[in-house]
Amino acid sequence: MNIELDINGRRRILHCAPDERLLITLRNHGYTEVKNGCLEGECGACLVLLDSRPVNSCQVLTASVAGRQITTVQGLGTLHQPHPLQQAFVDAGAVQCGFCTPGLILAAWALLQENPTPSDDEIKAALDGNLCRCTGYVKIIAAVRLAAQRLQALHHSTNPCRE
Amino acid sequence: MKTLNWYYPASLTEAAELVGREKIVPHAGGTGLLARGLGSITGLIELSRLPLHDLRITPDSIEIGSLCTYRDVVNILGQADPGHILVEALRESATTPLRNRITVGGSIALAPPWSDITGPLLALDTELVLLGDPSGTFPVAEYLQRSELRTKTLIQSVRLTRQTGIAAHYRHVRTRNDLPAFTITVLFKVSGGLITDCRIIIVGATPRYARQYKIENWLKQAPVDQLDDQAIQSLIEAKFGGRRIADPVYARHIAGIEIVRCVQRLMRNCR
Repeated sequence: MNIELDINGRRRILHCAPDERLLITLRNHGYTEVKNGCLEGECGACLVLLDSRPVNSCQVLTASVAGRQITTVQGLGTLHQPHPLQQAFVDAGAVQCGFCTPGLILAAWALLQENPTPSDDEIKAALDGNLCRCTGYVKIIAAVRLAAQRLQALHHSTNPCRE
Repeated sequence: MKTLNWYYPASLTEAAELVGREKIVPHAGGTGLLARGLGSITGLIELSRLPLHDLRITPDSIEIGSLCTYRDVVNILGQADPGHILVEALRESATTPLRNRITVGGSIALAPPWSDITGPLLALDTELVLLGDPSGTFPVAEYLQRSELRTKTLIQSVRLTRQTGIAAHYRHVRTRNDLPAFTITVLFKVSGGLITDCRIIIVGATPRYARQYKIENWLKQAPVDQLDDQAIQSLIEAKFGGRRIADPVYARHIAGIEIVRCVQRLMRNCR
């Protein structure tokens, strides 16, 4: 069957099986930044934003999200123009093997959209669906905190009247 | 490739007509269906375009559309009534991305043993508005007992009264993100330092939804400052076991202790 989706701002018509999970459909069509981890909704490696909300794409049937907006980590920034969150992960040393990083960055992005100045506990709660087996989370939390500070500074510099 | 047809009904009436056909089931968030496996299912009814997403709160009642996600309940109901037992239970359930996908209706319909929603709904005497055959309003306890209601109807909404008592929810997990082996919901009203109305529900043991009448009666008669977890343990009307519980004796022991802790915590908050 063919399903129309808005992926990273582009309208795409993707072919998929009726019982196919969104994770598999995305990867079959080149979105390999969406990682195939546990296929059980446990690890968060396959996390994407569905209409700006983080979901485990392995727990979503593609046919159920026809016409909806999907954002993968490539929708946030590029290698040469990284999103401040991506840059913060690099600067804070929050990336080791990198397998969990796309999901973590999207989960953090969703958090900062709702809560631009989260506490450490709020960061931990927002990232509760993302497992990292390398870093131990300390630097990941520091990266989100750093990104929040930078985004706030950017926001104030582009909206001086609000200060 | 598995043969699976998708149906996209344009109205609730159309959806209700599809429900009940053999091997065709409603699809809400999909997490429960995928956990069970699509198995012999030949058709899925996609509900997301139907008007089932509203959560309405009035001074007396709460009506939750069956497609409201756990996140919706935590955010919307949590703003109006932060101490509501449903908010407390669902806030701790699963993980952030899963709470964005798990729906209230799907959780009730599939009723997995690890569900965090069932205990609070039973404690609050919740009613379900069902479409299909039969249609109408049914107590959630009846819905869980009658398998034909689960297979031949579509949950339109969940109706509950505003919580008037105080409540606590305990989930027995090994780690924060684990599925609970069992849950305990405690809801009661207090007057003059005495418990006047009491509901205690254990979900996940045998029977799966076990209201603890003996403990409720005991609590209504006993001075709350003399709670004894050994006594509570001996009154538990449920058997623990199954794949997720390594030691039934230990589980029973923990259940007794946690019921006492819930009651003590609530009584402290009362003072």
